[in-house]
Amino acid sequence: MGIAVVYQELIQFEAMSVADNIFMGLKQDNGKIMVNDKERCEKTKELLKKFDCDIPPTTLVRDLSIANRQIVELAKAMVKKAKVVIMDEPTAAITVSEQEKLYKLVHKLKEEGVTIIYISHRLEELYEICDRVSVLRDGQYITTKDLRDTNKHDLIKLMVGRELSSAYPAKKPPKDEVVLEVNNLSGNGVENINFKLHKGEILGFAGLVGAGRTELMHLIYGAARKACGTIKLKEKYLNLHTPVDGLGAGIGLIPEDRKFQGCFIDKPIYWNVSISNISNVSSHGILDKKEEMRMAEEYKERLKIKTPSLHQQTSGLSGGNQQKVVIAKTLAANPDILIFDEPTRGIDIGARYEIYLLMNELAEQGKAILMVSSDMEELLGMSDRIIVLHEGKQAGVVNKDEFCQEKVLAYASGLEERQ
Amino acid sequence: MENRKKLSIGELIVELSLPILLIALMVFFSLMTDKFFTTQNLTNILVQNVHVAICSAAVMIIMISGGTDLSIGYQMSVSAVLVAKMIGVYKVPVAIAVICGIVLCSVLGTFNGFMALKLKSSPMIVTLGTMAIFQGISYLISESKTYHNLPRSFMYIGQGRIFGWLPINVLIMIVILLIVGFVMHKTVIGRKVYATGDNPEAARLAGLNVAKIKVLSFTVAGILVGISAVLLAARSGSADSATGVGIEFTGITACVLSGVALKGGEGTLWKVIVAVFVLGVLANGMQLINLGTYPQYIAKGIIMLSSLWLTNKNSKAM
Repeated sequence: MGIAVVYQELIQFEAMSVADNIFMGLKQDNGKIMVNDKERCEKTKELLKKFDCDIPPTTLVRDLSIANRQIVELAKAMVKKAKVVIMDEPTAAITVSEQEKLYKLVHKLKEEGVTIIYISHRLEELYEICDRVSVLRDGQYITTKDLRDTNKHDLIKLMVGRELSSAYPAKKPPKDEVVLEVNNLSGNGVENINFKLHKGEILGFAGLVGAGRTELMHLIYGAARKACGTIKLKEKYLNLHTPVDGLGAGIGLIPEDRKFQGCFIDKPIYWNVSISNISNVSSHGILDKKEEMRMAEEYKERLKIKTPSLHQQTSGLSGGNQQKVVIAKTLAANPDILIFDEPTRGIDIGARYEIYLLMNELAEQGKAILMVSSDMEELLGMSDRIIVLHEGKQAGVVNKDEFCQEKVLAYASGLEERQ
Repeated sequence: MENRKKLSIGELIVELSLPILLIALMVFFSLMTDKFFTTQNLTNILVQNVHVAICSAAVMIIMISGGTDLSIGYQMSVSAVLVAKMIGVYKVPVAIAVICGIVLCSVLGTFNGFMALKLKSSPMIVTLGTMAIFQGISYLISESKTYHNLPRSFMYIGQGRIFGWLPINVLIMIVILLIVGFVMHKTVIGRKVYATGDNPEAARLAGLNVAKIKVLSFTVAGILVGISAVLLAARSGSADSATGVGIEFTGITACVLSGVALKGGEGTLWKVIVAVFVLGVLANGMQLINLGTYPQYIAKGIIMLSSLWLTNKNSKAM
């Protein structure tokens, strides 16, 4: 039909080569019995060269980075001679430098006469690569405009249907009291991490994909074993073996992948909310259904989870509401330290803002937050301080008064070293 | 329950498809032969399926926790010959032998769970291996002999009746199923088993002790299998190494028929039990109308496939 889609969550043949993926299901192969591998590889190489990409055609797709996988999908669209390419949040999971590369690709496709439908939550990138924009809200078409005639502010207004004062709500500064101290922490792919987390602080963690941010969070939560170093929580050294220990010590994790790590997607909302603190809604090991529903109702109100019923399967909710369920589940365990790993990945702008408000509210209540994010604006907008990781090591710390994108990026790409 | 979504008529039919099927089968066989709907025959069906129902509950627990156990048949076999040999040959008191049989099965179950955990392998493959081990142990104990002439006090567990009409083994089954249903559906540990099977990684990150829950599921299933082994041996009054063999497939069939998810995290006890009796009535009825074992296999297969079609159709509609 001439339409190709690059989905947000790429659907590929992971155990097959790049060349096989690109040529899968192509008409020219119909009726043939043998596959001409050599020819495929040659063609693939040529194609990838167009995209300034030199991955060998025989590489298995599962060994590629997400950015390179997207390139494979785009190459596939080219082979199919697609006239329209739909891209669904392609930059949601890739790093800033990879984004630049992707924008170039999009321009290249445009020059070759391909029409691109680009779905995104990130307004700034629309201005970088798009000509016109259509706004949808709550499943309804709102309007289409020339991007030249609009600004971000207007777009946000159209998207949420009301005025938002700012993309990031203001937050009170943190207290001096140190609640978590990490010294020389190594293991799970990270090395020699040192930082202090203060009461009421949102400490951001920047870095490229694979820099070890999630791995570090798993160490602190007990989801992975540390090799050496110490984690001190309020004057108490922690020795965490499993998340049971982490949660017990008062640390909560909101994982990066909400579908596979964050929630039980086929289970009802109330079921998800109570699972981490299930003993609290039971007596002598027997569930108190009423108490459980009450707890779920409380978090539904507090986090503004939009659903007709708490018995609704979590999979039936929008991404933003699913994420709220995941957050509710962690909050229900009542931790003092919260780890938000990519808290707003792939969710709409209204829910995003509500999550930001919630994070600030939690910080003001005296909780401390570690936030991993690949969204540079979010990091700069929400954090009190940013720690930048590069290849598993701590590349630098950026304080609020010196926040700027270039500085963080320089550390993240290993251009600048500082301890 | 407040707020619960009301089921549409289509969904209700799917939800109740098994009981409807059971009743339909019973009506059908009652019309076909007057030997079917008699107190004697219905009691027979109950009594003959006591061990199947308890084993299916065991299979259900393991499947909900995200595992499979192919060795259940030989666990039963080991336990049955051990109990029979202790009582019949070594004249051990019945109570002690019975407890030994049940404890042995819980140990075998725990071993399965533990091996799956330590070998980081799929329980299906692991129990394929332990199945062979248990088979060997069973034949070593029994020396390929059949133990007959077990004492009356032991047979009473399987054949005795309270008030002259209520079979003791049926009563035991009811009590055990009520306990299993309560634990799985109403308690914290039951909820944790569902969570672990539904999404082990999410369960781990939610602070659940996934390893412990998985092994515990196997342990509890083992206890249930041990009880079924005793009940079966006591009912038939004899035991050999073929006792119980193959029961795991009946159990898995009943579970799948009732909608227990192969990937774990889903399943309802009453449906599993209804499924057990659908299979039981089918076998009994077909026997009574002189259709032998082979047509029974075909009927079982057809019922299984149509239930898959029905559930699949329903999940697409949602």
